[in-house]
Amino acid sequence: MQYENRQPTDGINVTKTRPLVQFVQLGVAAAVLIVLLVVVLQVSGGWVAKRVPFSFELRVMQELDVDFGHNSEHPQMAAYLNELAQKVSLNMELPDTFEFTVHYNNQDVFNAFATIGGNLMFYKGLLEDMPNENTLAMVMAHEIAHVVHRDPVASLGGGVASTLALLALTGSTGSNMAGSVLSNAGTVTSMQFTRGMEQSADETAVAAMYNVYGHLNGAAQLFKLFSDARGPESQGSKLLEGFLSTHPLDENRVLAVQERAGLEGWSLEGELTALPEGFASWL
Amino acid sequence: MNSVLIQAGLAVGLLILGYLFGTIAEKRHYKKIRQREASSAHLPVIASRYPPEDRIYEQRLVRGEVVISSDYFKGFLAGLVNFFGGRVTPFESLLDRARREAILRMKERASEQGAAYVFNIKFDTTRIATGRLAAMEVLAYGTAMVPSAETGPTLDDAVGGMLLNNSDAMTTNTQI
Amino acid sequence: MHTTEGSILLISNLEFLPGRTVNKHLGLVQGSSVRSKHVGRDIAASFKNFFGGELKGYTELLADSRDEATERMLEQAKSIGANAVLNIRYSTSSIAAGAAEIFVYGTAVELVDQPGTHE
Repeated sequence: MQYENRQPTDGINVTKTRPLVQFVQLGVAAAVLIVLLVVVLQVSGGWVAKRVPFSFELRVMQELDVDFGHNSEHPQMAAYLNELAQKVSLNMELPDTFEFTVHYNNQDVFNAFATIGGNLMFYKGLLEDMPNENTLAMVMAHEIAHVVHRDPVASLGGGVASTLALLALTGSTGSNMAGSVLSNAGTVTSMQFTRGMEQSADETAVAAMYNVYGHLNGAAQLFKLFSDARGPESQGSKLLEGFLSTHPLDENRVLAVQERAGLEGWSLEGELTALPEGFASWL
Repeated sequence: MNSVLIQAGLAVGLLILGYLFGTIAEKRHYKKIRQREASSAHLPVIASRYPPEDRIYEQRLVRGEVVISSDYFKGFLAGLVNFFGGRVTPFESLLDRARREAILRMKERASEQGAAYVFNIKFDTTRIATGRLAAMEVLAYGTAMVPSAETGPTLDDAVGGMLLNNSDAMTTNTQI
Repeated sequence: MHTTEGSILLISNLEFLPGRTVNKHLGLVQGSSVRSKHVGRDIAASFKNFFGGELKGYTELLADSRDEATERMLEQAKSIGANAVLNIRYSTSSIAAGAAEIFVYGTAVELVDQPGTHE
């Protein structure tokens, strides 16, 4: 028997590829796919969720029996906030079926939000910085606008649909980094939707402000407060920052208020309504 | 938002570094593999269970093993390929290199002992979990046939099987 | 060279050795070793991971581990009076991050020189 070791042709087991070209092609294709998927799911998920009647939202929240805020410990604040909500909502176009409950939360957070079931949450951190009733009413109108637009339920529906899809897809990459980059692409896409919601909530709120007070003084002040609360400006590009955030840039929101005022002939000046006496002690 | 930017910057930096270092290392490794394959061609590695009986041989178990890791770029690209399915090309060359390196190490140990053949070669490939990226071990082992002295050995002086202190042999191996 | 007390065992992954006959089959013998690297090695390996290439620490770990598993198999073989282990196979399983089990098994036999072969 003769034993030899002949050397087979090199490279039969390795596909000849250009890795960089492959990287770019696959990367672009995956990103496009993810963005399209998130857009489709956000739109369709949001569309489906908005078809759910508001009464269903109310029932769900009742069933869940979530403990919002600290209204019982701060009855005066709770009463005042709910009164203000009534006052603002009377000047907005909204169907009869809508109901609001405003909750006061004594945590030191600079925030307010609307969630399903018409529940609005106002934090102490935000309220203690309010200079006047007009600015607070702007927040209130903005949050009510979210409820009227059915934004909380739409972002829940679209968000759940796209998050599930992203999890399923990016899990299949088997590589943590490729997966997390792709899911970030999905998250940034989703942000474009929430920004749109914020913009239209601002628009509705500005109109309500005019209807309540007859002028827009105090409205734009809200966004300046946001800027201050956020601290010194970051060094990054504004364009990029705007793209990578859930809300529009504060200065753009101020500009939008001013533009709207000019367009409709609404005055930006007018007498500010003071916060009720003892407001600070209700916090 | 800053964390997103930092993450993106880090990923891009690591991709570039991984691509550069990985490509250079792969080219260099392949060059060495080819050289060593040529210089060890005189020692046949046979995947047969039936060794020759033309003379008396001592049998010794010989092993070669290597743990090889993918670079960041390969890992990322493999993730993208996985997304669409199909041939995971970035890992093909990785496994090819590992398997050829393992054979070479086995042959080098067989040569050190004066073997004429290595018979019944077997492979064992294992994914080694080292956190984020893929690393795999390839083991090649077989029976080195070392021609005995003319008189032929008896079982009493047949030196037992294997060279156990493999780590010494390892240090002589090339850097991948 | 492998040195334990007593005689040295022949081991091979062949089933039949030319010039020798299996006098008795003494059964399956096996050796196993589970090892992991200490955290420093793991950290070094994870850095190496970015650039690719051999993870030397892990190669050595598995080689040492394989030596140990083989030793254990030989110990079993000796304890049942074998002088060789034939048809051995290695099997490796990654069981946790940075830890692997090496398993080796084979047939313990009593090997004798074939009469007339070495004349």
